[in-house]
Amino acid sequence: MTHPWPVAITGLGCICAAGKNLDDCMIALYRGERAPAAPKRFSSSHPLRYPVFAVPGFEEPPEMLRTSALGLHAAEEALADAGLDPESLRGLRVGVCVGTTVGSAMNNEAFCRDYRAGLDPDLEPIERILRSNPAAVIARAFKLTGPCQTVVNACASGTDAIGLAASWIRGGLCDLAIAGGADELGRITYNGFISLMITDDAPCKPFDRERKGLNLGEGAAMLVLESEASLRRRGHRPCSYLLGYGSACDAHHLTAPKPDGEGLRTAIAEALACCAIPAKEIAFVNAHGTGTPDNDRVESRVLADLFPGVPFLSTKGYTGHTLGAAGAIEAVFTIASLECRLIPRSAGFTTPDPELGGRPVGECTKIEGSVALSESLAFGGNNSVILLGRRGTK
Amino acid sequence: MMQMAIKGIGVVGGFGCGVAELKGALEDGRSRLSTLTIPSAAGPITLPAYCATTERLEEYVPKRALRRIDHYSKMGLLGAYLALEDAGMLGSDLSRLGVVIASGYGATATTFAFLDSLITDGDICASPTHFANSVHNAAAANISILLGAKGPSLTVSQFEMSVPSALLSARQWLAEERVDAVLFGAIDELSDLIGYLQHRQCGPQHPAAIAPLAPGESSIIGEGAAFLLLTRKDESRAYCTIDAVETGSLYQGDLPLADDALLLVGADGRQEVGARYRATIPADARVACYTPLYGRMPAAAAFDLAVAALILQRGQAYPLVAATGGSLPLTTTRICALRLAGAHEYASVMLTREVMP
Repeated sequence: MTHPWPVAITGLGCICAAGKNLDDCMIALYRGERAPAAPKRFSSSHPLRYPVFAVPGFEEPPEMLRTSALGLHAAEEALADAGLDPESLRGLRVGVCVGTTVGSAMNNEAFCRDYRAGLDPDLEPIERILRSNPAAVIARAFKLTGPCQTVVNACASGTDAIGLAASWIRGGLCDLAIAGGADELGRITYNGFISLMITDDAPCKPFDRERKGLNLGEGAAMLVLESEASLRRRGHRPCSYLLGYGSACDAHHLTAPKPDGEGLRTAIAEALACCAIPAKEIAFVNAHGTGTPDNDRVESRVLADLFPGVPFLSTKGYTGHTLGAAGAIEAVFTIASLECRLIPRSAGFTTPDPELGGRPVGECTKIEGSVALSESLAFGGNNSVILLGRRGTK
Repeated sequence: MMQMAIKGIGVVGGFGCGVAELKGALEDGRSRLSTLTIPSAAGPITLPAYCATTERLEEYVPKRALRRIDHYSKMGLLGAYLALEDAGMLGSDLSRLGVVIASGYGATATTFAFLDSLITDGDICASPTHFANSVHNAAAANISILLGAKGPSLTVSQFEMSVPSALLSARQWLAEERVDAVLFGAIDELSDLIGYLQHRQCGPQHPAAIAPLAPGESSIIGEGAAFLLLTRKDESRAYCTIDAVETGSLYQGDLPLADDALLLVGADGRQEVGARYRATIPADARVACYTPLYGRMPAAAAFDLAVAALILQRGQAYPLVAATGGSLPLTTTRICALRLAGAHEYASVMLTREVMP
């Protein structure tokens, strides 16, 4: 091993329904502000208007997928936060690892409709997808020379991308990595999740007794991970650390979590083992907390068993479920909350569910300790967990 | 840098199914060219294509368990079972097995089927089954579920560079001892969308065979799955080792290539990529290319690795589908599998077989 845990994090960037940069997002979270609304960028013939969390006032360039534009926006903020400009990246081997669900899917509805109608449609919508691979877009924008990977592990993609990029740093594959997730709202995921009957027609209520499902959201978050050698070379200090990463598969069902949470337990154990952090040192858990009956039941039971009394929350009440971006957005919220020593209230939660193993924080809560966990559960039975530490935890 | 060992190979493609049929195609220098018919405004268009069949999957999985599994996942499952069987690991404890899947385009037929359900039947009738199976990691999930593999699972979609990019992460899992073995596979499927793309980008004249390094367009689309069972290098039987994986983008200078290795190139008859290969390959290099046996698809990069492993096992290249430099037979203990995409992207995978003195 060329580089042990932990891995330094030197920059953060975020854009989602809560704000167009991380500072604005955290202000909204601490104020408890959220504004889900019926989708404005696309229509649906569903009789119910399911609310979504869209990023207001953000327009992507016509040649690029919105997903990739969101990712690029977050990457620019993260690099600036790390004190890096494009010129300072020259000569460094910089990798890009981005999680997404929509960003590499060949599913343009207008193209498909025209093709099925026998119109021989122009290839431009498909070619736009092919040139908008989210990781490749960031690599091209900054002329980065290192490894490039788009992770498509469904809703765990963002968390996995961060964990994998840390592994690249540890293995000496790159000096620096931009890692995170990005996803956009669209008719296909909107109708897809409704078809699975796991979407709430009101603002989502993670861990609440009356929860009925998720609300979709969109956004992106990126982290700059950096090797010790690179930090020394430019005399920079990390803002936080990635202390561990674990992932495991339920091998149970395509869309439902395993009821006993076996895969999640394994992933948590693996993440904690990376830096030999005992469970009692965890200051809080940023849960996946989608608001679906199954997810919240499984997750709360695992948290009650492994982290009794440890505060937990879901931030999806502020952002919606941003799919491949969710793990990354929640990672930067976790780091920002560690810095502020304060976690926001778990939006949407009002009524405890006696069936669940615990209840999330109902108000902004001061936290003790400097280490927190962020977890993601996904279609395919993927469970991924990262352990994050405030500056000084190394 | 940690070496990985290739312990098992599972392949399904236009040439057939399994190592024996791939070897047969390599020895004959021929594959079974089939056709794909797609609708168009002018009526059905028939394109040459390398198509894969998955009947043999029923040797491993009861038919009943496959009812809701689409062709894309079936190809992946068949590749996975064949690789495990080839490695002697079918029925073994898979608790320390990781699953890594690379796909350029994912389950495009199922993705289009979901869109069809929206377009034809309306939003309220969107198919939940098609939606769940169109998610990129559906094949990895089906493999993990049917094998009971509870280690980490990763699906990568980096278009043409999906295979080498995913291979980097597979190697890191082994290096960090997160797993003891990785079931590494690549899958891509044919569909109306892939056929239409090919027809619009490369048609309307369709070639009889791929001429990978010749000027001009000669690509033929293919589908299939190529799986490798990877472990850390140890003393047990292996086809060969993977010594290095390099991927990235090159904006200036030349790509450093080992001058003593057989260069196995991923050229696939596309005109623009062929030109980049010709500009990159050193004049005195010994070059081989077997893409004409499985066709154009991002997953072809994993077929190249499987072929490289078989070449290293026998010590010399198979009758060459396309080659330059050196005289036949080409003996080798070192292969550099080279893949280029776009204007700047590259990947090289170095494979070797130790020769006992």
